[in-house]
Amino acid sequence: MQTGEFVFITGASGSGKSTLLKSMYGAMPPADGELVVGGMEIGKLSSSRLYKLRRHIGVIFQDYKLIGEWSVEKNVMLPLIIAGFPKDVCRAQAQKLLTHVKLSHKSDKFPLELSGGEQQRVAVARALAHNPFLILADEPTGNLDDYSSQVVWELLEKANEELKTTILVVTHHIPEMLSAEYRHLMIENGVLYEIR
Amino acid sequence: MKSVKAHLALILPLFAILFGAEYLIVFDRIVDNYETKLSAEYSLIVVADKALKPVDISRVDRLIDHVEPVDIDSILHRIRKETSEKNMKKIKSIMPSFYSVKLRHYPDKYTLKRLKEELLAIKGVKSVYLFEKMHDPLYEMLAFMKSNFLIFSLLMFVVGVLLILKQMYVWQLEHRERMQIMALFGAPVWLRSGVLFRLAIIDAFIALLLIVSGMFYLMKRSDLVAFLRDIDIDPQTLFHFNDIGLLAAIGFGISIFGTLVVVIRFKEEL
Repeated sequence: MQTGEFVFITGASGSGKSTLLKSMYGAMPPADGELVVGGMEIGKLSSSRLYKLRRHIGVIFQDYKLIGEWSVEKNVMLPLIIAGFPKDVCRAQAQKLLTHVKLSHKSDKFPLELSGGEQQRVAVARALAHNPFLILADEPTGNLDDYSSQVVWELLEKANEELKTTILVVTHHIPEMLSAEYRHLMIENGVLYEIR
Repeated sequence: MKSVKAHLALILPLFAILFGAEYLIVFDRIVDNYETKLSAEYSLIVVADKALKPVDISRVDRLIDHVEPVDIDSILHRIRKETSEKNMKKIKSIMPSFYSVKLRHYPDKYTLKRLKEELLAIKGVKSVYLFEKMHDPLYEMLAFMKSNFLIFSLLMFVVGVLLILKQMYVWQLEHRERMQIMALFGAPVWLRSGVLFRLAIIDAFIALLLIVSGMFYLMKRSDLVAFLRDIDIDPQTLFHFNDIGLLAAIGFGISIFGTLVVVIRFKEEL
């Protein structure tokens, strides 16, 4: 993958899409071969260097993975808190992103008080908060209705176009609005095929 | 309510451990005080058929603090009225020499026995009187209680630590998701485990506060103070300010150790 690319990986259930994604953020290092992310070989990274690399990656999951006991604002602040930014800077950036995803009026709410679509928008805002060079998304719209899905795709597309963030999305289904524009790979029996 | 329960589940075992530790410290002090008192009041008597230099006796064992010859006149004082001067002189000439031996501390009966043999080995010493039967029973009883309490405290410690580890495991489950998500974004160990350490330190502090306030309360109870005085125990032995440091080290040490176990056992699952 080249810097600034937007890539879709599709494949049947159990084909290894999510495993590939997990390998990319080091949760499941590759059993064989070489996987280089951000110039670093994942399999050879010490845990502290892996954590440092993760501070420059944004992740989005189908089930959102928001921290339930934290407010929406604090969830978005998470990558910035980890990066060590002062609290006021974290708060300002979180507010900016929540405005961007049209949820600034819900910043004091807790994740379970939001709909699925809203929770995923919070997850996207969190993934963008620290301006990562790479966003990894695992079925980001798998649980969402059409409207919420469209909002999420628009946000990812905007991040790719305006911030030149590299985006890798693992999904069953590529949305029509993006199907013609971006690179598409397919995984089958552990092998990646270039579709477009 | 859930949070109060979670705190109590750590505070109570910690409190039990600290309670056991404090009582062990108090018992130790009481036995030490009693030993000091015994050694101050206690002396053994050495009888010799010739005059000895006190230093010849005291150099026999490091346990001996000092040796004083017993004044013969004070022994014969009672029979002086009924005995003529001539007979008194005769008695004095055949009387053996007596030496009072003071010890640095009251030893156990085996050490006393060994000391007796060492003293009997001195040339001229005829007999040694230990008078141990007057002191031994109470001392032995205290030492017995101390050893029993040590076993009891150790059991309490083991059960307490197991309960703490169980609670830490519950915390691990409760905080796992948050820790997993934080790990996904590259949070260092100290940041994602910060909440656990904070909880452990707060609970250890509360347990310490409870035990210290409890001991202060006991010290201020006039009936307990009077009772301790009645059985010849200084009420001040009940609590020393130095104990706070020791209890804090035990309480914080155990809770931080428990947290470290949880943190080390953390495994990424996302």
